[in-house]
Amino acid sequence: MVVVLMDIHEAVKYGEKLGGDYVEIRYEEINRSNIELKDGVFHSLAERKSKGYAVRVLSRGAWGFATTNKDLKRAVEDACNLAISSSRAVRDRIELAEIPANKDRVKSKMKIKPQDVDYEDKAKHVRRLEKLLKSKYYVKSSQVRYEDAHGKKILVTNEGTEIEWDINYILQYIWITGKDGNERGAARNMIGNVDKGWELFEEEKFSPEHVADELHRKLYNQMHGIAVRRGEFPIVAGPIIVGIIAHEALGHLAEADLTINSPFRDLIGKQIAPEFVSMSDRIVEGGFGNNMYDDEGTPIKDVHIIKDGILNEIMLNREYAKKWDMEPNGHARAEDYSYPPIIRMRNTVFEKGDHSLEEMVEDIKFGYYLVDFRGGQAELNSSFQVGVQEGYVIENGEIGEPIKDTSISGIAIETLKNIEAVGKDFDIEYGICGKGQSAFVSSGGPHMKIMKSITVGGEK
Amino acid sequence: MNLINYGEKFFDELEIHVLRRREIGAKAELNQISSSSSSDLSMAVIRGVKDSRVGISVVDTDNEERIKEGIETAYKLSRINEKDENWPGFPEKQNYMGKSVNAYEPEDADHYVNTLTLSLKDISEKKRDAMVVGAEMGTVWYKSRLMNSNGIDVEQSDFLSYYVLVMMARYGEKVTPSIFDMDVQKKGELNTERVVDSCLKKLELAKDVKKADSGEGKVIFEPFALAEILQFSLYPSFNGEREVKGTSILSGKIGEKVMSDKVTIEDDPFHEESLSKIIADDEGVATRRNTIIEKGVFKGFLWDHYWAKIHGENSTGNGVRSFRTGSMGIGPHNMVFKEGNRKLEDMIGEIDRGYLVSSFQGAHSSNPDTGSISAVANPAFIIEDGEITGSTVFMVSGNIYDLLNNVEEISDELRPVYMMGRGLYPHVLFDKVKIAPVSR
Repeated sequence: MVVVLMDIHEAVKYGEKLGGDYVEIRYEEINRSNIELKDGVFHSLAERKSKGYAVRVLSRGAWGFATTNKDLKRAVEDACNLAISSSRAVRDRIELAEIPANKDRVKSKMKIKPQDVDYEDKAKHVRRLEKLLKSKYYVKSSQVRYEDAHGKKILVTNEGTEIEWDINYILQYIWITGKDGNERGAARNMIGNVDKGWELFEEEKFSPEHVADELHRKLYNQMHGIAVRRGEFPIVAGPIIVGIIAHEALGHLAEADLTINSPFRDLIGKQIAPEFVSMSDRIVEGGFGNNMYDDEGTPIKDVHIIKDGILNEIMLNREYAKKWDMEPNGHARAEDYSYPPIIRMRNTVFEKGDHSLEEMVEDIKFGYYLVDFRGGQAELNSSFQVGVQEGYVIENGEIGEPIKDTSISGIAIETLKNIEAVGKDFDIEYGICGKGQSAFVSSGGPHMKIMKSITVGGEK
Repeated sequence: MNLINYGEKFFDELEIHVLRRREIGAKAELNQISSSSSSDLSMAVIRGVKDSRVGISVVDTDNEERIKEGIETAYKLSRINEKDENWPGFPEKQNYMGKSVNAYEPEDADHYVNTLTLSLKDISEKKRDAMVVGAEMGTVWYKSRLMNSNGIDVEQSDFLSYYVLVMMARYGEKVTPSIFDMDVQKKGELNTERVVDSCLKKLELAKDVKKADSGEGKVIFEPFALAEILQFSLYPSFNGEREVKGTSILSGKIGEKVMSDKVTIEDDPFHEESLSKIIADDEGVATRRNTIIEKGVFKGFLWDHYWAKIHGENSTGNGVRSFRTGSMGIGPHNMVFKEGNRKLEDMIGEIDRGYLVSSFQGAHSSNPDTGSISAVANPAFIIEDGEITGSTVFMVSGNIYDLLNNVEEISDELRPVYMMGRGLYPHVLFDKVKIAPVSR
């Protein structure tokens, strides 16, 4: 690794010599294990070794970015030339907010790292999961995907930042398809962690038995659920749905590069939700988006997006922190060395309130209790959509029959005003967010009651 | 040393797939150029089989020594894997329909910066309150070589240029949805003016936000919106693996009418306007035109080599590799939803009250195992008395097969779609679409 670091430092100096005002090089050397078991056959028992460089140069107020797994020197030349080329067309020069030069080694918190577990044991774990999933007659097909990674990431800039990460993660994704008579359905589950290693699967919540039970319930309920009524109804959302609303409906609007073109731009400092509503993007126990520094070397800070109902802060990288005259808060993230960092969420959560689920449900004559999601998407005009893979009817204050899969939608800035109660519980889920490139994220919160402004999609 | 020969020291049979991808382009945001970028990346996937046990290795390089290391890693993994009693072997030598080799002649970054700058100027001159949220212009080129121990050795290279434009505007406190359009070209100049004019027209129409009706109505899906919905709710049913497992809703329905007789869908990499003119799939099987739906009748599934052999068929040349995991799957190359005979203007002109959808939010949350859809039309536009009068947001729910049984009209022009898989799609007017308003 010493040789690599020397190469990078020399390359950074070379970038300066070629006219780079800011030169940033990110090197990654990561090994990934991939196991995919589909209906009894391991279609992938694979290892991926990746090694490459991302070179980003700011010159005369414009960016140049080059990625390569071949020739670092050439990539530095390319990035400098690209920046200079862009700068000829720049009207308002891009500038960066200052950060201290950080030198650090970020160690993994994992107790049992993925590379310390034999491939055979990983395959055995996946096989055990499949056996449990297939134990129900109505599960016709299952796909279990397991991925882990270990390796190094090094960031060096000409401002003196030098950070080395010990990169580790675990990712498990399951999709099951069911058929019971004429009824069909499908359910998904995803687990991801960067702080806990193989010990994760010893926790009850992540054990193969628990995961299989949860999936069986979701699949069975979906196949035998009733069709949903179409229109605007009161909902009580469980922590996972609340989390995905936090992420899709509000989180994206609070990413500074999107805020600038969204309704949130003119609402910072204003009351946008009842005072008992608070929402953050922050470090969370077990959060899939946890880290110490972002990919520009900025220490990660908790961002209290909504505080007591007021739109308080937004997520920033260095470029947008300068534009907004704010402090960078560590939200520049890149999927891997083939991408430049952009503003991303980490763990987006609504904070706890003081209601119980029973209190939230008791006065609803007809509505829906929504528990788990399948996908979601945000738009600049604050319209959001969340797919629902588990939900129940609420009738006369009681949670009743399960429903078939559906989705909900609303206009976020309207929906926020209609939050009636926030629960005293808390949970998170794990996902991969797409914004041109992927990022590991978590989202979550307590239960939440929204009486108006949520449209439920349905066949009836 | 020949890499296949080297691999045969370890395996009974093996396959090596090497991909090199280069890209150069410029980006803009907030109405000005923000960056230029280039990438030069190589990858190799080794899939080897010993005693019917498969091992896979992926390396981010085309370096011969590292590929050899990858061969050895794949061998170690194959020893851990269980025997796949159904392993059919790799495909045999094929006859390909011509060659697919297009030399890469990249423009330098200045070309993209200058062209994009001119386009930004065009936008600001035509509409001063328009904001370019993001724009990207560039050329991507790839070269692949697929070899296996059965004698397949096929090289392909190709490139395409793209211009993607995303815009919005503020009207007082109102923010429009992001308006998006793109042009993709395999030859010739990008039509930046068409992209700009299309976005600006919609931006103007998005100024007035109206509430959609609740109930059932007539809705025109634009090509991108159509591709989004079909990609997630219909195309998974065409997958031969699902036929083997009985999980496709189309299982046992070959020869049956499953949707409106106005609908014909083919996977045709050789279509004149194809964005993916490949002669071999990712296992080296010769590609072909596969008719999947013909006048509403289901004609057959798409297959890769593995699942085809298990089912007693031949591959349709639809093996698609994940370069992330090295594993194979089944997928289309260039979906063509056959054009109809109506002019879009006439289709809109004949609607008393209906909608035009540019894009969907949440198409990916459709259920591919049931065909159930529940997605939000945004941006979408209201049609009143044959004219577009404003924008709206609404939920579309139901089932893809019900939707495709209610096709009323299909436009006479196909548009290339690059981002939801590659394909060619028309505008399609559906009747009895179940909708619920979202915007007030």
